[in-house]
Amino acid sequence: MSADSGPGEPPPKPDFPHGGGELGALIRTFDWSATGLGPIAAWPQSLKTVTSLILLSPVPMVLLWGEDGVMIYNDAYSVFAGGRHPRLLGSKVREGWPEVAEFNDNVMRVGLAGGTLAYKDQELVLHRHGRPEQVWMNLDYSPVPDESGRPAGVIAIVVETSETIRAERRRAEAQERVRQSEERFRALVNATSDVVYRMSPDWLEMRALDGRGFLSDTPSPSVRWMDEYLFPEDQGAIWSVISEAIASKSVFHLEHRVRRADGGAGWTSSRAIPLLGPDGEITEWFGAASDITPRRRAEQHLRLVVNELNHRVKNNLAMTQAVAAQTFRNAENVTEAQASLSSRISALALANDLLTGERGTAVSMRGVLDQATRSHYPSPDRRLIEGPDFSLSPKTALSLSLAMHELSTNALKYGAWSAADGAVEICWSIYRPARGGPERLKLVWTERGGPRVDPPRRRGFGSRLIERGLAAEMGGEVQMRFEPEGLVCVIDAPLTVYAEEGAA
Amino acid sequence: MSLRILIVEDEMTIALLLEDMVADLGHEPAGLAMRLPQALEMAEREQLDLAILDVNLDGRLSFPVAEILARRGVPFLFATGYGSGGIEAPYRDRVVIRKPFSLEDLGRAIDRVAA
Repeated sequence: MSADSGPGEPPPKPDFPHGGGELGALIRTFDWSATGLGPIAAWPQSLKTVTSLILLSPVPMVLLWGEDGVMIYNDAYSVFAGGRHPRLLGSKVREGWPEVAEFNDNVMRVGLAGGTLAYKDQELVLHRHGRPEQVWMNLDYSPVPDESGRPAGVIAIVVETSETIRAERRRAEAQERVRQSEERFRALVNATSDVVYRMSPDWLEMRALDGRGFLSDTPSPSVRWMDEYLFPEDQGAIWSVISEAIASKSVFHLEHRVRRADGGAGWTSSRAIPLLGPDGEITEWFGAASDITPRRRAEQHLRLVVNELNHRVKNNLAMTQAVAAQTFRNAENVTEAQASLSSRISALALANDLLTGERGTAVSMRGVLDQATRSHYPSPDRRLIEGPDFSLSPKTALSLSLAMHELSTNALKYGAWSAADGAVEICWSIYRPARGGPERLKLVWTERGGPRVDPPRRRGFGSRLIERGLAAEMGGEVQMRFEPEGLVCVIDAPLTVYAEEGAA
Repeated sequence: MSLRILIVEDEMTIALLLEDMVADLGHEPAGLAMRLPQALEMAEREQLDLAILDVNLDGRLSFPVAEILARRGVPFLFATGYGSGGIEAPYRDRVVIRKPFSLEDLGRAIDRVAA
């Protein structure tokens, strides 16, 4: 103590507090007489004791002394105070931290009344560096009694938890992002109708497969997936594509046959990607497989249709060739042959229309007879068509159509339709033969009212087509009688009603 | 040498052309079958040196006819619009002519089969 130092002498160097780091030094030299605390020499022992205690602590602590809460703190607190330090030392807490004045008013009120306060991760906005800053702190306030035993100040342990809180928030946000991503992934998997599967890195084990009704499910790991989903004859080829994907750690993609949930064969477009671990090795394969069975069927059907079309084109050309060859073989001169050929090709084309059902009608007996003759007769009243209708096989319809064309052109050139008012009757009936056996068709073509008929000197292609071709086609007899009043052609054949698939 | 040749062809105009062509080549048409039952019967019954078979007879394949002919030792050839792809396995090495064909095509095919 230096109670004996007189005026004029430099004030004695304060020896309190001892040590206490930077703050200890600041406190020793601070002019406390300007504060409510007065010079250190006059401080009560209780204040000195608490000050020493604070300065020795590595934990940020501050003492708020007196009604105004004059601030004394340690080095650790100065770090927390940031730009406020060192102005904060010796200031009233209300003025030192104006932005949280009300909070501290409450602290002082409670503390000086003998109460304690504890806040965990208390959120505050402080202006430590000249700008608002959100911080979180653990705050513990206890009253400090003076010599009389009454609370004279409040000691605060201030531990900033902002970093911990921010880290926790970042972790929570990251977790939330992962959760959302997971949720989106699940939504995606649920939104697609694709089969979803997971395989072990070497594909020996299927970890899981959700079959979506297309394939059977594999809910838990199975090493028998190959036999479950693949036909034995396909396994080799599929495995070689899998092996290649494993070796190159690249996407597996293949359209292949599969055994469906119902046991039948289907087609799938399957695609799997390798998931790589931090060491770059495959940890799992994740795949999706869609049902392309309908598309495959359609493609197959289309191939059949194209093949059939090609066949029909070839066949039609062969027929055209046959008609042309025989037209020229039997022709008397080139002009006649040209006319006959072009008329016969037209007849073939017309018959073809009938067969491909372009008019949406079945190949009916009446339809065939009507169409083959309608382009030749001079007027509708000079043709009578009568008989019960039924369906014909396309092949029979074509032959009958060509035969009717031949009869019609003949009638127009030499027969009933070449005269002013001759007519043709085409009548047919179905009968059961007296000697038994299946029902038969009898069709009679009768020409009347034309010029007198003489049997032809030579038989042309038309006659041969009718008498030989049509007879063979229909498996019956065909007879052409050149009666003086007109030609009569009688077709007598077993009735083969053609019932098309799916027809009523 | 004139051969007795069975013609199995379901298309009337082509059947008639085949008859003409066979005759033009100096052979004798031994019969014309346009449907499978008829063809089976004629293949079994007729005295034949050779047969020309259409593959598709109004929707039915003519291979049972080929089977009878093969059993009887009668040589045959196929005439088809489908090409050799439509020929069943046991007959893949048989002679096939594609429709439409010329007189010369048919003549060469008959000579190869008859040889």
